[in-house]
This record gives sequence, structure tokens and C-alpha cells, in this order.
Amino acid sequence: MRSLLPSPNDYVLIAVILGMPLLGAFVNGIWGNRLGKRAVRLMALGAVGVSFIASVTAFFSLAQLSEQDKGAPVKLVWTAWEWMHTTAGYDGSTVAIEAKFSIDQLSGVMMLVVTGVGFLIHLYATSYMDTDKSYARFFAYMNLFIFAMLVLVLADNLPLLFVGWEGVGLCSYLLIGFWYENAANAAAGKKAFIANRIGDFGLLCAMFLLVEYTGALDWHGLANGALGLIHPGEPSRVHVWPLGGGHYEGFLRFLQPHRPFTVSAATAVSMALLLGCCGKSAQIPLYVWLPDAMAGPTPVSALIHAATMVTAGIYLICRLSFVFVLSPFTMMMIAIVGAGTALFAATIALVQNDIKKVLAYSTISQLGFMFLGVGVGAFTAGFFHVFTHAFFKACLFLCAGSVIHAMHARIHDDDKAQDVRNMGGLRKWLPLTHLSFAAATAAIIGFPLTSGFFSKDEILYRAFIDRTVNPEDGLGFLHRMRTYAPPQWIGPVLYSVAVVAAALTAFYMCRLYFLMFWGEFKGWTIGRPSLLARRELAAAQAGVAHSPEAGAGDAHDDASGHAHHDDPTTPGYAPHESPWQMTVPLIILAAFSLFAGVLDPGFGILKERPLDHWLEPVFKASTDHAVIFDYGHDAAWAEHMEWPLALGGFLAFAIGTGLAWWVYIAKRGAPAKRLAEAQPGLYRLLLDKWRIDELYDGTVIAAVESLAETAAAVDKSLIDGVLARFTSLVVAASGTVLRAFQNGVVHVYAAMMVVGLAFTGWFFAVPHAGATVAEAGNDDYLVTAAPGVGYAYRWDADGEGKPEKHDFGGDTTLKLHVRPGQSQNVNLEVRNSFGLVRTKTIHLARPQEPTSSL
Amino acid sequence: MIPAEQYVILSALLFVIGGVGFLVRRNVLVTLMSIEVMLNASNLALVAFNRSRLAPGAAQSYVGQSHTGQVFAFFIIAAEAAEVAVGLAIVLAFYRLRRTVRSDEADLLKN
Repeated sequence: MRSLLPSPNDYVLIAVILGMPLLGAFVNGIWGNRLGKRAVRLMALGAVGVSFIASVTAFFSLAQLSEQDKGAPVKLVWTAWEWMHTTAGYDGSTVAIEAKFSIDQLSGVMMLVVTGVGFLIHLYATSYMDTDKSYARFFAYMNLFIFAMLVLVLADNLPLLFVGWEGVGLCSYLLIGFWYENAANAAAGKKAFIANRIGDFGLLCAMFLLVEYTGALDWHGLANGALGLIHPGEPSRVHVWPLGGGHYEGFLRFLQPHRPFTVSAATAVSMALLLGCCGKSAQIPLYVWLPDAMAGPTPVSALIHAATMVTAGIYLICRLSFVFVLSPFTMMMIAIVGAGTALFAATIALVQNDIKKVLAYSTISQLGFMFLGVGVGAFTAGFFHVFTHAFFKACLFLCAGSVIHAMHARIHDDDKAQDVRNMGGLRKWLPLTHLSFAAATAAIIGFPLTSGFFSKDEILYRAFIDRTVNPEDGLGFLHRMRTYAPPQWIGPVLYSVAVVAAALTAFYMCRLYFLMFWGEFKGWTIGRPSLLARRELAAAQAGVAHSPEAGAGDAHDDASGHAHHDDPTTPGYAPHESPWQMTVPLIILAAFSLFAGVLDPGFGILKERPLDHWLEPVFKASTDHAVIFDYGHDAAWAEHMEWPLALGGFLAFAIGTGLAWWVYIAKRGAPAKRLAEAQPGLYRLLLDKWRIDELYDGTVIAAVESLAETAAAVDKSLIDGVLARFTSLVVAASGTVLRAFQNGVVHVYAAMMVVGLAFTGWFFAVPHAGATVAEAGNDDYLVTAAPGVGYAYRWDADGEGKPEKHDFGGDTTLKLHVRPGQSQNVNLEVRNSFGLVRTKTIHLARPQEPTSSL
Repeated sequence: MIPAEQYVILSALLFVIGGVGFLVRRNVLVTLMSIEVMLNASNLALVAFNRSRLAPGAAQSYVGQSHTGQVFAFFIIAAEAAEVAVGLAIVLAFYRLRRTVRSDEADLLKN
């Protein structure tokens, strides 16, 4: 087995993992429309499937390797080629940036999730997108996304990760606007793209700072050079105001602060990285693009906007954990942003009626939990939530897609087909979807012993007890620095906010579940199948066909032979379960949602927590010095607190679920209606998502637009009106003058030629004295006369007016010693063949040397 | 032997006559003839200079001497012949178009 696999330092299997999705994207993108649906399906599924199998193989050889070196970070590396060079730091050393990919414990897990969940969603999409006319384009984009995501995950340095980072952004944009005929979808794609660009700005800034302060961009080099970010003293401070450390003078003096505002390089880098992560992982303030991204097809929402791409921000924080822990301030900000987003998005999700919107806000909220986890220094807990969330949220989205698919039998308007108010009682007709949705919901609301229960509880627990401090205990030289320490009360506050968010999560997810699958079906009147069949037969015999668009319209229905009636009161067939390509991924993902918790269960259930153990080498160096249990207690106390703190999480689950059951099952939604009527303002505010989009429209976007309008006005008045018109005037005027000469009369042309020839003759008949002066070293100047046909030279080196030699000669150069502070004139006489002589005086002066070396 | 200066003066005279004729006359045929005169003026100068630079006493023997000027003159005569052939063809075409050989009528390229 071992001999069959490539060596860890040149692990070419990575090329297969990366190459297959790229090949799939290429083939389907170029020839997809000619290949036909079957071939496209085979190519797309085969590409991701092979990539998954290769990933599993790579994962096992990684596991084998890490068995050999226990506790040490192991890596499978493949260098494709050397990409570019740059210089870094004060010493200007060369930094090689290679197209190098590596699999370690962290990226290995991520790679399995991307290819595994990706394969299931591809399988699902082959059926879901069956009737779409752009089948091949869809799978080309999907495969390209898998490729870009794998580049992001497997990259061994930050620039290469950035390539994947932008690649997934591009695919996200393309797939959100997949149905671009609808202007709203195209706008949503643009919104996602632009919001992500703001984050990318942060990531780029972080890269520049990192290469300056650590002298490397690959993971290994960054880890080695990370201490350069907190080196004491002025050079490792980043000047925030005035930016870059300048001085405001003159009329801008009022901007000059009393003392320049500086932060440590670690804080600057990690805050810039945080901006990038907030953009990609949809956190406050850049989360606004994710709800709109639901305009894309549902498998896209499941794959990109729930399971993989949006977790890239958390992945990056885990990847660069050793940078983040150097700045306790940033760590606290990550936790605050995460907790705030978790609560904020959960409140919006409470009242949304579009099932995909609820899930989108739920995703934002869960990403907030992950941020909270990594923000308090519990990187494993945060990453474990990435892992479990990938399963249950992908499952929820795919179930939503299955339901939408079923609703499309009668309701063809996308908004209405996704509206939870048109659903209800679907468990009767969609049993598999129902069970999968129930399992995934159990996981997300933290039903005990499901995967989400373990991952969420771990985050809550860590949020209470952990906090990050500057690692000065481990590194003696830092004691001179004044460093930020998070306040003691921050842990309990974060814990409380997260518990409230968890309770809201339980409530809105159960609300969604009950409204979709329980109660009465509200979409249309369900007729008895036998009666419907008889009536259709009668209608066909009477020659009254279906409405004309029935044949060419939505093919979902043609397959099942449903009738098209816009009036929902007319009886119709019941919604139907989806084909096996869609239900099998649901069942697999549901099973993982329920049971993936065994990989990292808390409460001492297993002696050794597998994921903790597996990821330990990655995070050990970061957490050893920086993350502490504080509050004057020891590790035993922290262990002791696990059960009491888990009670909060369980209560959140119990209260949220119980309340949802009481409101939507026991009282059939009446309390919710009463509350909405009692508080119409608050209800509208939540339904309008706190009107954050409107706030951004009114502030940031309005500012940008007014700037654009100003620029356009300047362009029209100054550039077009003055500069362009003036230029054209000059051209036209000179044209008018020159046109007078072009009179077409041969004699005038001939006369002009004669004049020109006369000038040329005069130029050649007269000598031209010219010389260049060059430094010859040792305080010497070398004067070189310009050459010419038949020229002879005579020099007067001391400039007193009498040449040294009487005769003209061929000496074209003159060497002259001029000491600092002195100056001298040199006369050069040039004679040509006609005996004409011209003289030129050259002034030579050497500046005084500075007297002091200050 | 006639000194080279006199040849050069004659050549310059011919060149000026040709140039003035070229600038002043409107008949294209005369213009062409003026060009011929100018070219032949330069031929004369070339030959005269070539001859004046021959080594003294060796005037009768051309072996080992430079004859660039004289050969140059022959090339110019050949070029002249080609130029006249083209020039006359243009004049003929122009005459067919405009029924005239006056050069100030040839203003189709004006502006």
C-alpha cells in the first residue's frame, strides 16, 4: 500500500483531486451543449466522484503518516510550479511564491467535506436541474466551484489561497445569477460580488502587511515569522492615523493628532484578515449579500452558501490561528462579531416566510456561532461546527429544494412556491424529505446527542470559560509592551447572547418545520386521484386540451402529467416525493447530521475526542500560550463547569422548541398572529430585516453614488467641456493653417522642397559643437565631443581662451580633474571640412561634500 | 587642360537653370526637361571631380585608379531614362484626362 502511494513531499495525487473538477468544468463548459445531458451528467458526477475518492485515499495516507509521528504536524505536499518572487521586510530578502498545495489535518477534513458533500449535491442537482435549458452551464460552474474551493483549501500560501478565494467568489456570482434573465437575480449576483470585494480588500492588505513583517507568505514561513508581528518597538507598530506614519502640515494641520495612533502589526494584520473573513463568511457588517444569494438554484444555496464557501472565513481564521492569537483585541472582536451576528440574524429568521430566506439567515446565524467559537480561541470547536453545519445545513437546503420541487407541481411563481404560508402537512406526501428535514432540524436546534448539539454546546462552553490574552507568559521579551487584555465579563456576556441566539434558532427552525410539514396543506385543494384521472380523460375526449402552454411550459409537470390551473381552489394532484437522485443525498446527509457528533463529543463520553486529537497538531502552538482559563480558576474548575453550562444550551433548545410547538401546533399559529398585530411596528421591522439594506442604501451606497455623480459632472464639464474641446480646437486650427500649403499645385510643392533642401544643406555645411560630460571616478570628469563627418577638434582645457594646441586634431575626449567645491570652464572648438569653426563652453563644477555625517 | 573649377561653375550654372525652369515653367514637358538638365549638371560635376582627383601623370592610364564618379554618372543616366519613361507616361495619362499638359491644372489631390 505504502509503495503505491507517492511520497509525502511530492504527493501528486493532489493533482488528481484538483484536476478532475477542473477537467469537468472545462469539458462541460466548452462542449457541454453538444454532448447531451447524459454525458454532461457523467462528466460532472465522475469528476467530483473521482476527486472524492482521491481525497479519501489522500486522507488515509495522511492518517497513516500522523500515526507515525504522533502529535507532530504532518503534511502531504505537491508543488506544481514556482509562481513568482517578491521581496520582503527590511532586509529585502527574496520570498518565493510557489503554486504549492498541501494537505494537513485541517485542510484534509475540509477537503473531504468539500468533495463529499459536493458529490452528494451534484447528484441531487442532476435531477433537480433536469429540465433546465442550461444544464451543461450549470454543471460547468459547479465543477469550477469545486475546483476553486479545493484550491482555497489546499493552498499552501496566502496568494494561492487568494486565487481560490476569488475563484469561489466568481463561481458564487455566476451561480447566483444563473437565471440571469430575471434582473433581480443578476442584481443579487452583483451584490454578492461587490460585498465580497470589500472583504477582499482586507485580505489583500493583510497579505502586504504579512510579507512585510514576517517575510513569508506560506503557512510554514508565516508560523516561523509570526513573532515579528509583535516585536517590541516602533518598527513593528502600524500607524493607523496618520495612515502610514506621515505628518499633516499646512492647512491640514488640524488632522494631526497629538500622538500618532498606532497598533501592533499583529492587530493590523488580523483586523484586515477579519474584514476579509466577514465578507466571505457573511458576518456583520458585510452579511447583506447572503440572503439575496438565495436567488440562485437551491443546490447552489446548499453547496456554496451553506456548506462550503461561506465557511472559508472560519477556515482562514483556523489556518492562521497563530497570527490571530497574537492579537487579543482581534480575537475579542471576532467573538463579538460572531455572537452579535448569531443573535441578529436569528431575530430576522423568526418572521421570514420564504423558506430559503429563513435558512439563509439561519446560515448567517450559525456562521456567527462558528466565529464566536474561533474568537474565544476554541478553534477545534469552531471548526467542528463548520463540519457538522456542512451536513445539516446542506440537508436542510436540499430538503427545501425537494419541497420547492414538489410545490412547483401547481405553483409556478418562485416566490409563492417558496412561501411557507402555502405549505403545511407535507409529511404525508414527502415522507423521506420530511424525515431528513426533521433529522437536520434536530441537529441545528441542538437536540441532545445529535451532531449540532455537541458542536454548539462546545462553543457555548468555551465562550464562557476561554479567553485570549497576549502570549507574554511564554515569551519573556513582551513584558515591556502595553497590551490589550479582554475584560473578564466578556465571557459570560458572550455566553448569554449565544444562548439567546440558540433559543431563537430552536424557535424559528421548529416554526419552519411545523409550518412546512404539519397542519393543513394550504397550497391548493387536493383532489382524489381517481376522480382527477376520470375528469382529465373526459376533458381530453371532449377535445378540451390543457391550456396551450401546458406542453411547452414547466416540464416538472409534463413528466407527472399534472394539469395547469392557476386557481388553487380547483382540485389537483397531491405534491409528490422527489426521485431517488434527490432523496438519497438527503438520507445520507441526514444520517451524518444525526451521528457526526461522535467525532467530537464532549462531557467525557469518549475517552479521547477524535477530532480534537486529530486537529491538535494544527492548533497546539497557537493555543498553548495564548488561550487561558481565567477568572482565577484552574483546569479542574473548567471541567467542572461543563455540565452547568451545557444546561443553558439545553434550556435554549427546550424553550425554543416548546414555544414553537405551543404556538404552531397546539394553538395553530394564533399567538404569533396576535403578537404581530399587537406589535405591528416591530413585526414590520423584523420582516424588513431591520431595514439594514435600506440603511446601506441611504448611507454607503448613496455616498458612492453621489461621488460617482460628482465625477460624472466633472467629466462632462471639465474634461469633455474644456479639455477635450480645447484640444480639438488646437487640432482644427493647426489643420486650417497647414491645409493652406496643401493646395495641389506641383510648383508650390517643388518650391517647398527646394526650401527644405536649402535648410538641410545649411545644416550640413555648418559644424555643430556639442559635448557630454561623464563621471570618470577619482574626481575626474570625462568630456566627450559629439561626432560628425569631417570634424576636427581643438580643446582649451583651462578655459582662458587660448587652445593648448594650435592645430585641430582628432581628440574627441578630454579628461579633467575637478576637486569638490571647484568649478572650471572648458572650451571646445570644432572645425568641419569647409573650414568653418564653432566654439562651445562647457562648465564643470563638483558640488561640495557634506561636512557632517548627521 | 581645363581646370576642374570651370567644370564645376558650368555645372552649377546648369543646375540653377534647371532648377529655375522647374520652379517657373508650367508645361509639364518643360518641367521634365528641367529635371534632365539638373541631373546632367550633377553628372558633369561628378565626372569633373573624378577626373581632377586622378593621380598626376597617370591621366592616360586608368589602371588602378578610382572611377566612382564616372560610374555614378552612368547609373544616373540609367535612372534618368527610367524616370523619363514613367514621367512621360504620367504626362500622357494626365493629358488624356484633362486635355492639357499644364501642371497647375493637376490639382486633383488638393486639400
